[in-house]
Amino acid sequence: MPTPKVKAADFFLPFGRIGKSAAGILLAGELILALVAWQLSGGGLLPTPSRVLTSMTKILSESYFFDNFFSTLGLVLQAMGLSIVIAMVVSYLYLIPVFTPIARFIMKCRYLTLTGLIFLFTLLTSNGHSLKISLLIFGIVPFFVTSLVSVIDSIDKAEFELCKSLRMTNWEAWWEVVILGQLDQVFEVMRQNFAISWIMITMVEGLNMSEGGLGAMLIKSNKYIDLGSVFGILVIIFFIGVCSDYLLGMLRKWFFPYTTFNTRN
Amino acid sequence: MLDYKKEKLLLKASNINLKYDTRQILRDVNFEIFNVTRPDVIQGQVISLIGRSGIGKTQLFKILSGLIQPTSGTVLIGEEQRPVVAGEVGVIPQNYILFKHRTIYNNLKIGLANSGRKLSENEAKDIIEDHAKQFDLQDHLKKFPAQLSGGQRQRVSILQQVLTGNKFILLDEPFSGLDPIVKDKVDELLMKVSHLNEENTLIIVSHDIINTLALSDTAFILAQEPGKEGATITEVVDLMAMGYAWRPGIKADHTFLDLVLNIKSKL
Ligand SMILES: Nc1ncnc2c1ncn2[C@@H]1O[C@H](COP(=O)(O)OP(=O)(O)O)[C@@H](O)[C@H]1O
Ligand SMILES: [Mg+2]
Repeated sequence: MPTPKVKAADFFLPFGRIGKSAAGILLAGELILALVAWQLSGGGLLPTPSRVLTSMTKILSESYFFDNFFSTLGLVLQAMGLSIVIAMVVSYLYLIPVFTPIARFIMKCRYLTLTGLIFLFTLLTSNGHSLKISLLIFGIVPFFVTSLVSVIDSIDKAEFELCKSLRMTNWEAWWEVVILGQLDQVFEVMRQNFAISWIMITMVEGLNMSEGGLGAMLIKSNKYIDLGSVFGILVIIFFIGVCSDYLLGMLRKWFFPYTTFNTRN
Repeated sequence: MLDYKKEKLLLKASNINLKYDTRQILRDVNFEIFNVTRPDVIQGQVISLIGRSGIGKTQLFKILSGLIQPTSGTVLIGEEQRPVVAGEVGVIPQNYILFKHRTIYNNLKIGLANSGRKLSENEAKDIIEDHAKQFDLQDHLKKFPAQLSGGQRQRVSILQQVLTGNKFILLDEPFSGLDPIVKDKVDELLMKVSHLNEENTLIIVSHDIINTLALSDTAFILAQEPGKEGATITEVVDLMAMGYAWRPGIKADHTFLDLVLNIKSKL
């Protein structure tokens, strides 16, 4: 494709096309600007980027960081894995009338706050690890189901009609259109909701500090008002999130090449 | 005069009414489709249902294909005149919907897989590749639907239904959104499908009078009668009796164009 000439006005135009290299420069420029603004405004309560960087390198150089990191990663992956399986089962059954009310109820559970249920979950689970896992699952599943059901609801009715015209049974149509046809969307939902588990991790890890984890580290640093470390950990968490987001995006392209067609530009 | 005979009844729509709430969309729609035979030619039927936009063509299309049930009335098909069931009539909806997660090859394969024929993997492959060639799709088998143009998707859609083995194929607005050159290609393509089997019956639902009539042997005009709600068949145009059927290049014939104008004034 020939690279179109980039005009200054394109940078401010909706759907303006500026090309890859210009977009890269834009990103880097805005990042530097933000860091400079942060450095200049910091110094008081807010630790400056240089201080955050120092404490970050300190954190990263200590061995207990990796123990905590892997503890968190393990927890998140386990909870995400279980949640996505549960959410997929619930959402796929959503189109079968007997299961519809159950799926609807689970979606509404988004409005239940976890804090109120901690006591109940503590009684129901046998140890700290399973308490954390079940709280995470309980927190994540309603969001997953909500997103997945909206994916299913937006399936074009004509796709089911195509299945009928090809003599498929209802079950075959369900398999073809809802399961196979939407797998790429499941991936996207997973990517978009991955952040939720990171957000909940701090709260959940604070409940049971014995296994450590980034959340536990964060809570401890907060207690000692060590804002440099707090920001350091935050930045680390942020980067892990951004990387996993990117990774899942790449995997989606890899597994489902057809999703890359038909996008803007 | 053209030499042809009308034989067995293939499809009969009787007293079809369709209401949404109190709004009558279709009223007492009646028509019959017969197998037409010509000496020395294997030739199916091409029937058109012509009406202006919004009159209820797509609804009738869905009723004929068994996808929706009319408020009253019946559609009987085949020699045995059984009520139509979804899957017995091939449908090409207006937007040529395909399975977007399957390659073109696999979209065609799923049509063949539901044809009821017992085929080995290799036999299936040969049939698909052979048909793809005939329909000028051989270079696109590995692509996904989103990578094809509208006209190409339409061909895949038609081929998918042909491979399913249905004798009846319904097409909703097959000419819409195509440029004139591609429209001529659709003509050729539909003629090809029609020549595949004596009993192949294409039913074209369209508001594009000239392109549709040029292909058809019989046309039914769907319109409202003055003072009555709901569309019905107001006229049957027998293009075989008029000598316009099966004539390539008919679109340039002056008397044919007069017929087109005449029908246009009645929609
Ligand atoms: N599900 C529905 N409920 C109510 N009205 C409908 C429904 N589907 C179609 N209609 C109405 O039926 C009429 C005919 O629609 P349609 O068959 O799509 O027309 P066209 O001849 O352009 O294909 C339109 O006025 C449309 O608003
Ligand atoms: Mg229509």
